[in-house]
Amino acid sequence: MALDLVKEKWSNAVAVVTIGALKDEGGTRSSVVRCGGEEGLPFLFAEGKTPHRPVIAMEVLDVEPDDWPQSLTSAIGPAIKNPVEWAVKCEKDYKADLICLRLAGAHPDAQNRPAEQLTKVVKDILQATTIPLILIGCGEDKRDNEILPLCSQAAKGERLLIGETVQANYKTLTASALADGHSIIAQSPIDINIAKQLNILISDMSMSIERIVINPTVGALGYGLEYAYSIMERARLAALSGDKMLGMPFICFVGYEAWRAKEAKASETEFPTWGKQLERGIAWEALTATTFLQAGADILVMRHPKAVELVRKHIDELMKE
Amino acid sequence: MDKFKITFLPDNKTVEVEKGITLLSAAISAGIHINSSCGGDGVCGRCKVILKKGQAVSLPTGRISAEERKKGYHLSCLSVAQSDLEVEVPAESRLDSGTLAKDDAHMLRLKGIFSEPEDTDKGDSILGENIFIHSPLASKLYLDLPKPNLEDKISDLERLYRQIRSLQDLPVLQTGLSNIRRLGELLRSSDWKITATLGKRNGTTEIVILEPGDTSKRNFGFAFDIGTTTICGQLIDLNTKKILGTKAAYNKQASYGSDVITRIIFAQGTDGLEKLHHAVIDEMNLMIQELTRENNIDLNDVTCCLCAGNTTMMHLLLRVDPTYIRREPYVPTANFIPVVRAYEAGIKINPRGLLACVPGISSYVGGDITAGVLACGMDKTEKLSLLIDIGTNGEIVLGSKDWLIACAASAGPAFEGSGVTCGMRASRGAIQKVKINPETFEVTYSTILDTPASGVCGSGYIDAIAELLRAGIIDRGGKFDPKLIHRRIREGEYGREFVLAFKEGLGTTVDLIVNEMDIENIKRAKGAIYAASAMLVNHMGFGFNDLEQVYIGGGFGTYVDMPNAIFIGLLPDLPREKFVFVGNSSLVGARQILLSHEAIMDADEIAKKITYFELSVEPGYMDEYMASLFFPHTDLSKFPSVTGKKSSP
Repeated sequence: MALDLVKEKWSNAVAVVTIGALKDEGGTRSSVVRCGGEEGLPFLFAEGKTPHRPVIAMEVLDVEPDDWPQSLTSAIGPAIKNPVEWAVKCEKDYKADLICLRLAGAHPDAQNRPAEQLTKVVKDILQATTIPLILIGCGEDKRDNEILPLCSQAAKGERLLIGETVQANYKTLTASALADGHSIIAQSPIDINIAKQLNILISDMSMSIERIVINPTVGALGYGLEYAYSIMERARLAALSGDKMLGMPFICFVGYEAWRAKEAKASETEFPTWGKQLERGIAWEALTATTFLQAGADILVMRHPKAVELVRKHIDELMKE
Repeated sequence: MDKFKITFLPDNKTVEVEKGITLLSAAISAGIHINSSCGGDGVCGRCKVILKKGQAVSLPTGRISAEERKKGYHLSCLSVAQSDLEVEVPAESRLDSGTLAKDDAHMLRLKGIFSEPEDTDKGDSILGENIFIHSPLASKLYLDLPKPNLEDKISDLERLYRQIRSLQDLPVLQTGLSNIRRLGELLRSSDWKITATLGKRNGTTEIVILEPGDTSKRNFGFAFDIGTTTICGQLIDLNTKKILGTKAAYNKQASYGSDVITRIIFAQGTDGLEKLHHAVIDEMNLMIQELTRENNIDLNDVTCCLCAGNTTMMHLLLRVDPTYIRREPYVPTANFIPVVRAYEAGIKINPRGLLACVPGISSYVGGDITAGVLACGMDKTEKLSLLIDIGTNGEIVLGSKDWLIACAASAGPAFEGSGVTCGMRASRGAIQKVKINPETFEVTYSTILDTPASGVCGSGYIDAIAELLRAGIIDRGGKFDPKLIHRRIREGEYGREFVLAFKEGLGTTVDLIVNEMDIENIKRAKGAIYAASAMLVNHMGFGFNDLEQVYIGGGFGTYVDMPNAIFIGLLPDLPREKFVFVGNSSLVGARQILLSHEAIMDADEIAKKITYFELSVEPGYMDEYMASLFFPHTDLSKFPSVTGKKSSP
């Protein structure tokens, strides 16, 4: 007897957010990335279409990272000292879908780099690469409010995905993104209510929901992964059931989370029974990423080229109907 | 042990205390009330005093600014005398003294804590129904007994019973030994003409008082609503059902903590229970004295007293240890309190007079709610109705004549003016209504009794927040727009703030402001009440739209601006005509019970019928609460009239 699969009917689809603008759209990219648009739960193609496959953005820092383990930095090589070369490498060698530039050097406690240097990095990367760009500030509200509007202006028309806004600080960046035609990342601390509230607050400034991406904040494997997973799952279920204010694509900073995990960073001399550090780190990042794919992640921001390769293959497999 | 004399100004009262006693304790001993929300923990900063003469040492506190310190300000709960002292209690630290005059012409906005005679006359329910038969808790009966003779030689007591039964159908009668001891002599010395006061006591009728001659025309009783913040008392002529006067005063227990939990903790300390008990009965006795004096009534003609209040207040009134109310599984000592003699609880009326308490439902839903349900007639209607009593503890009752269910949500005292920077109770000088011009941000406001503003009460905060939202000064999360530059918007100690009224011309030492922390506190309070209402309605399988009537009660319910209360998400978005403001429904219910034995039985039925729904163990409550921490709500479709968003199907 043939078995009929029970199919859920959903009333709403996730909004489609476009990142990057082609030349005839006012930008300089040779390709754009569209994400979101799911009409059902992840990879249940019988229930609803998934018009756009999940994408991988590779993280590039404007300054050489000082807290990344050697197993990670050595994989990128000398290019890690130069953000433009690093970005080109991500595009050419690692086939990243997008670049995610984090302006870590802007932080007042780090190098507190002057604004001109930061806008220059943004412009140089845009010039040297052809794929769309995600731009992240340093995470210090005051400094971000100062530099991100300048970077936003410098990249006017390029339709960046720019972030991050939080509930206590979203107005300045949203206003800049609105003026310069960029989309925005709305970050919430693993809290479905705050996620939705922030989306409402940003929409109240007349930013359309096709220009908002949710960063639900995630945790690495072993560090609250299941909690983050369940928040994403709940948000996505609400979105598919009709809640437009949660119906935006997700961006997950898995590289940032996974490489903070002790299991990814600890040396073999410390824990000889844990196996090779390099493999551990890659596996930790890849596993964290693939888990969040199941929760509905649309953009994965990753760090290690090998992990990126593994996850891309995995997405290829998952996308086969 | 050293002793110091401390003189409090401006009252000029002096008290001698042992070394080590805090100035706050000394003030209480001197009979001077100083505000204290935290019960002397040194965190609320409300008990500031100014040291004028002498030496005192204080523990360090962030609640006194450097400027204030220079002027000699101390927190009285953290300071002890090192010598004889002269201490001034500044205006902002003093409880507004005394009772509110009953015939003050401008009491409209105080309706909640001061029920006006016109809408409460003759014991009518607030819905205008007069459904209970007149049979007060204590009634007087004049008896002209036939003298005994050789043919009719039954005993004096049986003679008394026979005479009473010839007039009233009372199969069960009781008399105490002391009355029996007096009876023989009393009957003969009064020529067999006496007045008996019959009290309804726990299912029987007791001959409570025996007096010579006819005093039956003079029978009076008191109805009390004992709230955490406010006490209301009403003198009633039990024969005519007429209200002779109403008074409201602050519950002086507030000196020991602003919410029931702090007071329960205080009760566990040395003499704590005694102090709390006295704070409430002293206030009640004062009201009784004033109202009887104003009406030329002899205290001996006051034969009974009926109280409604939350469970903790009833325990403290009766000096019953409330400790177990706050310990799992939250069981009170008594919900159904038998009728006792008033003097046993320290209430000074006729020494043999009765004291009854409206039965409660659980530790956190008390007799005030039973009385409220009775007054609203919720137990008599087919209509599905909801009663929301907004207080420090928000209580919510849902149901109809067939069933009733209640829950309680800890809203905190923000709506009653505590825990907010410029908060005050709804009394003289409180900003009660606010309008903000969306273009110029200029403010117009009105105060209670139109006196210069000295603070902001709950309804003022509701208006202020709704107007700040409308003007775009704050966002739906309650945060100020950082880009706005205006003379009324500035950076304060606790985030950004908006000046409602500048101190110039007010006589206050500070500008009256609303800051982000205040907005956060109000957001939590309104979130708790809305979430609890939503949970309760949901739990029974209904939606807000199924409600046919919503009663809003509590000391401040009557003067809350309804559209604004919906705008900020305190009340559900329903057609305005479904809301009925009932003000102090607890006091109305207490009076009905005082006046009718039928209502007493009804109240017992209501208390037994109400199911208590414990929110704290409901897994969904926290979620609903978190979603309510937004103006008006994270789910905007729940407030279509506010957001223009249609309700989802």
